[in-house]
Amino acid sequence: MSKNVRYENVNKIFGLGTKNEVHALKDISFTIEEGELFCLLGPSGCGKTTLLRNTAGLDTITSGKMYYGDVDISTIPPYKRNIGMVFQSYALYPHMSIFENVAYGLRVRKVPNDIVTRKVTEVMELVGLQEELKRNPSPTALSGGQQQRVAIARALVYDPDVLLLDEPLANLDAKLRRYMRAEIRRIQKATNITTIFVTHDQEEAMAVGDRLAVLRKGIVEQIGTSDELYNRPKNAFVANFIGKMNFFNSHVQSSGPKETVVEIDTTGIRFVIKSEKRHVEPKAGDAVLVGGRPEYLSVSAEKKEDSIPGKVRIIQHLGSFIRYEVEIDRNISPVTLEIDMDSMQPGIHEGDDIFVTFDHDRVALFSPEGREL
Amino acid sequence: MKAKYSMIENGAETSRIKKFFQKDFSQLIIFAVPMLFIAVFLLYPMAITLLRAFWAPAENNYRFTGWSLEGFRTFFTTKLYLRALGNSVIVSLSVTFLCILIGVPMGYCVARVKIPGRKLLLSLGILPIIMPSFVGAYTWVILLGNNGIVRTALNWILSPLGIKIPSIYGMFGMILCMTLTYYPFVFQMAYGAFSGANALLEESAMLMGASKARIMRTITLPLIIPSLGASALLVFVRAIGNFGIPAVIGGNNYVLPTIIKFAYEGSGDINFASSIAVLNVIITGFVLYLQKFIVSKREYETISSSHTDVKLHESFGARLIAIIICLIVLVFSLLPQVTIIVMSFFKRWTGILPTGFTWNNYADIFKKSSHELFNSFFLSITATLMCAIFGSILAYITERKRPKGAALLDLSIMAPFILPGTVVSIALLSAFGGNGIMKLTGTYAILIISYMIRRTPYVYRSVVANLTQLNPSLEEASTISGATWFYTFRRVSVPLILPSIISGSVMTLTTLLQELSTTVLLYSARTKTIPIQIFSAVNENNLGRASALSTVLLVIVFIIIYTMNTRKSTDISSSMKM
Repeated sequence: MSKNVRYENVNKIFGLGTKNEVHALKDISFTIEEGELFCLLGPSGCGKTTLLRNTAGLDTITSGKMYYGDVDISTIPPYKRNIGMVFQSYALYPHMSIFENVAYGLRVRKVPNDIVTRKVTEVMELVGLQEELKRNPSPTALSGGQQQRVAIARALVYDPDVLLLDEPLANLDAKLRRYMRAEIRRIQKATNITTIFVTHDQEEAMAVGDRLAVLRKGIVEQIGTSDELYNRPKNAFVANFIGKMNFFNSHVQSSGPKETVVEIDTTGIRFVIKSEKRHVEPKAGDAVLVGGRPEYLSVSAEKKEDSIPGKVRIIQHLGSFIRYEVEIDRNISPVTLEIDMDSMQPGIHEGDDIFVTFDHDRVALFSPEGREL
Repeated sequence: MKAKYSMIENGAETSRIKKFFQKDFSQLIIFAVPMLFIAVFLLYPMAITLLRAFWAPAENNYRFTGWSLEGFRTFFTTKLYLRALGNSVIVSLSVTFLCILIGVPMGYCVARVKIPGRKLLLSLGILPIIMPSFVGAYTWVILLGNNGIVRTALNWILSPLGIKIPSIYGMFGMILCMTLTYYPFVFQMAYGAFSGANALLEESAMLMGASKARIMRTITLPLIIPSLGASALLVFVRAIGNFGIPAVIGGNNYVLPTIIKFAYEGSGDINFASSIAVLNVIITGFVLYLQKFIVSKREYETISSSHTDVKLHESFGARLIAIIICLIVLVFSLLPQVTIIVMSFFKRWTGILPTGFTWNNYADIFKKSSHELFNSFFLSITATLMCAIFGSILAYITERKRPKGAALLDLSIMAPFILPGTVVSIALLSAFGGNGIMKLTGTYAILIISYMIRRTPYVYRSVVANLTQLNPSLEEASTISGATWFYTFRRVSVPLILPSIISGSVMTLTTLLQELSTTVLLYSARTKTIPIQIFSAVNENNLGRASALSTVLLVIVFIIIYTMNTRKSTDISSSMKM
């Protein structure tokens, strides 16, 4: 039976009581639903792998509780947790055939031979390796993508309560990686096992996961579907980690119950932003950050209404879109803007002076420190 | 998705006592045995020896009457002992220097010059350390004796220069024999370093305009210093601990291992022998520290991600020089083995050629050596099996479990690796000799224990090297699949480290079959081994008998090594590293 996974105030401190204490997980509390494909996403060192290893029991948490379903597993050793795990390196046993690799968890559980054969055949069909199983070579003779499938089969064969995937696609080339994303989603939906998928690649996480958690420095920044994270990021970090966002220093002009008027510093460009549910309602005169995704900004050679002058530094052709890197007044935005256009803009070259305009309806608002408002 | 497979059903609230018994203790028990062994048979004897070195002389050496520096005072005021100390230092340093002088160019030649039969050269180049070294020593008596064939030949070649070969008995002989025995350590490691070096580093220097000599001086040589330091230390440690060669051809030039035996057997004074052993350890420790000090500043991490193979020199001149260098070294270092085999079929070899062909030397083995053969095999195989078990468990503990004090554990396991065999014997005698609680002198047990103490590092190092290469997630994957620690150890860890266990064990077995320096202080009439018998035969000048026995040893050792090399692609070099 698939089970949900629940974290309650989980803390992990490495080297507790020593000089090099590292607080890797800080008060993590959330729930992963039954049968869900859940992604843990964040930059390296954010704690995502630590959380996964603790979920598996390969490390033990410093404080807090973890539940599989109703069972508190915080202190249960990993070999009694009934989990499946796919490692970044696949960790296939070179001294065993692929059949024995996949059968390993069943052998541990002393499952009778005929059931082992049946279950291994079933799971190898599920991952699409029935042909390889007939030849049954050593796993070292398989390609990277096939090894990956064997690793997934090995983790699934004994019907684990939870499946853990630790950066499973990191060792594959770009094309295969995109293909395996869809495969993993297909296999997970077919088995309906609660799955936690760790990655540092936001595109991968958005493509694979039902829901995502963005972690930074041991803290969960936001949990939601890909759509929620992309279109309603809670803070500047999430906005800039899930996709890219350009920020402009601004001040609140007026604040009413229905809408807030914001002006980008030194430009006189004003936005009217509908007041949704906010934690803090900004007051007139407050400094804020206005954020706009690259695709909601545009460049033009001639001056338009509400545009900011800038200079094109680099133009990159990225296939389906063109990315313009534009420098504007340092007081408005200290970093280079990234602006994505559907096609090459005629008459704009690297080094040209241009104008930047906004899609007024698609801007986001954050505190000057990038926190949620 | 059957609940049968899920093992967590009602783990809600269990009492502490219940939890205690649910814990997996197999790990603890398996780890405890080798640790206990180390404590009782290594640390305890070492401590006792250190204490005894400062005991006051007494009627009964095993009774404590007070502290004194008498042992050290005797040592430093007696000319005989001081000369032995001086000899040891001179011999070891010269041997180390000469081994580098021979091993590095030869390693470079085989690694970087396109010469035929490089694989064969490598295998032949390792033979001298695998073959019994003291056996080689007495063959030089035949070859370089007053009318010996090599002396006659060399004197003829060197006579225009006005040089004459000095007598084989004494310092010259000891240095020559040890150099020819131990140069393979430097050769093998230099070969590894030169062939494993990243060619891109040298190529980039060349593109920046550096000359070949400059690249050699500023890139190639500095990068091999760490491995050179390690092999030099290995040679020094072996040379200062070698008993057989000085005992056979040292004449009245004593060195530390021979003087320890002399002092112990002459007077039975274990406390004085302990004092010499402690001095010996201090010298070895000092050299170890020196080596670490020199090398530590020159340890480099490889920072490049890509790696290309080195280009070989192909010019005719370079190839000719390389072949000549390799052939000269190989001929000289393998001459003893050939001499032994020839000698074993003759009665005498006093002139240029041997005389009196006979089969009797071999026939005698069956009559007079069957018990010794049994002893050699019984002791070596038993000790090797124990070393294999203890060595791999200890390696697993230090490398995978990393307990507190892992560095200390590592140090104590490796200590006997650099300690002279005679020192280990003295330590065991001072702890388990006399009328102590456990009297082991003269038993098979004390020999097996001493072998285990001295050879466990071989398996240990070999397995540690293997484990560091092995991704821990292989074992984690097994744990996740529901396997207990012991199941994982049995089904995953052991099969994967088996090649290194085997290669370490083969090194152990082959060196134990020819062990002399430890055995010579610990054996009794009942526990005599083949090397002891060869040693006595040499001392009785019965060279035919000694040669026949040595040939048997050579053949056995060769078969073991050859079988391993053809069966498994295992690398025995990692069991020789520090």
